[in-house]
Amino acid sequence: MSLFRHIRKLNALQNVRQLSSAGLKSSTLQYATDPQPQFTDAETQQLLQSMTQLQLDKVFRKRTVPDNSVHTQFMTTAQLEKEFLQTIEKAQQLLQMPPVVKIKEDTERIISKDPALKDFATTKYVFTDITFGLPQSERKVVVRDVDGTLSYATLDITKRMNQLYFPLDGRKFYTPRMFSDEQLFQRCLDEHKYEFILDRLTVQYEPYEAEFHNISAKVFEHLNESKQFDQLRSTRHFGPMAFFYAWHRCIDDLLYDMIRRDYLLNAVQLIALSYKIHKVPLDYQATLRQLEELQPSPAVKALAELRSGLRQHQAKGIENEIQTAIGKTETDFQADEISLRFIEQYIGSEHALKKVQLELAVQTLKELNLEKQQLYEGLKKAHGVQQQAS
Amino acid sequence: MAGLLLKSIQRWKSSLRVGNFVNLGGLSSNLLISRSTSFFNKLPAEDIWRGVTAVSNAGKKRGRGKGTGKKIAKDLNKGQAIGIGKKTCIWPGLNAPIIRGNELLHQQKQSENIDREKNIQKIRDSMGNFKQMKINPIDRGWSGTKMPGRSIGPPDTVGEEEFTSFDTFVLENKIVFIMKGNMGRKRRYSVLSVTGNKNGLAGFALAKGPEVRTALRKSKNRAGQKLMSINLYENRTINHDFYTGFGKTKIFVSKKPDGYGLVCHRALQTICKAIGIRDLHAKIEGSTNLQHIVKAFFIGLMRQKTYQDIANESCLHIVESQMARNGYTEIKASPHMDPKNADNDRIIDFMQFTLGNKIVLRKKSVPPFYAQSMGYTKHEIKKERFRNQANVRLHKLVNNYNYNYT
Repeated sequence: MSLFRHIRKLNALQNVRQLSSAGLKSSTLQYATDPQPQFTDAETQQLLQSMTQLQLDKVFRKRTVPDNSVHTQFMTTAQLEKEFLQTIEKAQQLLQMPPVVKIKEDTERIISKDPALKDFATTKYVFTDITFGLPQSERKVVVRDVDGTLSYATLDITKRMNQLYFPLDGRKFYTPRMFSDEQLFQRCLDEHKYEFILDRLTVQYEPYEAEFHNISAKVFEHLNESKQFDQLRSTRHFGPMAFFYAWHRCIDDLLYDMIRRDYLLNAVQLIALSYKIHKVPLDYQATLRQLEELQPSPAVKALAELRSGLRQHQAKGIENEIQTAIGKTETDFQADEISLRFIEQYIGSEHALKKVQLELAVQTLKELNLEKQQLYEGLKKAHGVQQQAS
Repeated sequence: MAGLLLKSIQRWKSSLRVGNFVNLGGLSSNLLISRSTSFFNKLPAEDIWRGVTAVSNAGKKRGRGKGTGKKIAKDLNKGQAIGIGKKTCIWPGLNAPIIRGNELLHQQKQSENIDREKNIQKIRDSMGNFKQMKINPIDRGWSGTKMPGRSIGPPDTVGEEEFTSFDTFVLENKIVFIMKGNMGRKRRYSVLSVTGNKNGLAGFALAKGPEVRTALRKSKNRAGQKLMSINLYENRTINHDFYTGFGKTKIFVSKKPDGYGLVCHRALQTICKAIGIRDLHAKIEGSTNLQHIVKAFFIGLMRQKTYQDIANESCLHIVESQMARNGYTEIKASPHMDPKNADNDRIIDFMQFTLGNKIVLRKKSVPPFYAQSMGYTKHEIKKERFRNQANVRLHKLVNNYNYNYT
């Protein structure tokens, strides 16, 4: 009987070896230095958040949930105002980015060596502090080895013990097959399930783990080729993605996408981020400040959108109607001009790689904007709306 | 003696006709006396059959002879032809031409037809029984072959008004009696049906007729003339929860999210199908008289208010928060007047408002009598360690036993 058990144990060990060798290949792009100080910098965060945008329909899109009930209630205008603020807060919480930090190395930290305890048992003993309410990083896990050495547990063991005593919803003890099987992972990528992969990755791994870096890098690389950046817009993964491209000097595809979709402010911010990371001696801050004055932040924009629902029945001014028909205001045209100037400067510099493509996109946008502006002014004149500035 | 013999021979001849058998050997000792007359050869087949299959006039009035054991007259001539019998034979002029080519045909015996008897019997067997029409399971009503719940097609066109995309469902089909001066107790069929276009337009009607078919037709066409427009929410459910009643019937109807289905009385399910409601929950309390249920439900549907009306009436915004959208609140209607601004104004509950200040009694489920017993507690303890087994097994299957023990 014991012989059988022994054979089974050996087989299990072999399985483990096969599994670990059959993991995903490492990606080509990796953070060479610690990206954390750059990422957590307030200015970077603000840029990334602004780039992510806050489309309420996307953040609060319909999902498959076990309880899909609908709650109807009466509210006063004051209550609604409060509700709007809470909604924005909730959206911001949902859009919080998983941090980009360097990979944590496992170091052996021996507490004491007690040779007297040698062969006290045939297996290691793991001791875990299960005090309630401790954060995962502060939970002490120590291991008494068979030879009597008492040391801090490796990161792997610590994570498993944490999961054992304080399970995280959705995290598995084993590696999900989509992360261990190259083919399955490739299938996920080919079906463009980027958000799904990244969400599961965030649940399964800690940001300092090598797997986290490896898999997220692979997803971002695949995204850069398929160019479906819009899938991640208004999700928590857009910021790390933009940061990844800026760090590895491959922002051009994302930039092209932003220009094509008429997100010029974001394009400027992306360029600024890349300048900031690579310490390019160029004053981008002045442009950014100018643009910020002209255009509201995503949260303010979303709040305005929510509030507009309140005043539906109120009569709108003719100027407002013209603006909604064209989709741009006077200040937007001004901001576009400034951003286009900045973008063209970038395209002209040696940092841009896909110059022809970008130039074409800028040219098309310029023509479109010109047409819109002409239409806007024509409409204003026809309706006899006076210039407020003059 | 000689006279007797002669007579007996005569009788023998006649008895041959009716197929009796006479023993000639024991002629002198025992003679069989047979009568050649019976109702079999006096009455025509039609009358004989009527005697077996028909029901008396009085019985007919009472509705006898309509059930499953109904006998039907058989045509015994079916499967038989002149000139072809037990023994096959060529009879020139009867079942064959007299002259074939230049040759004169002669009477000629042929091989015996063994299956003939069997085939005739088969034909007769197939005639005798009353056969029910098979209904497709999809077209079936609430129960068996009964009419309630079954579809009877759109109402007939009136002039140039066509009832396209309409469908009618029978809700009730029953026999009712009234007393007539000269006829006495008179029987009629009463049919209640609902017709609708599955898009918020529906009507129901009760009609009586001497036959089921006429009653069905009358009811269907009358329902088509009494259409009501019903306001649907997202084209799938009601506007809001409501309470409605008729007579002793009380119905609590609640609005449900997409994909919930129809969880209610079968009559309400059928009505909802006709109207086009797909998600709804309804609890009937009190009497379940079908006609009252139908009336109460339609009254409730007609009394529904739109969100805009409710908002105007209460001077408050109506807001919906969906769990499927992570609790995102959506303004559904805002009052035309300036909404109440003060926070200390008492804000009524939306459901209370729509239910007309009624509260649905939700009974607590009573634990089974054995819940407190020692045996059950033991069982629970034993069961506890297997509580996650199904889940684990599923995950094992999913991961194909490849666990990563590291």
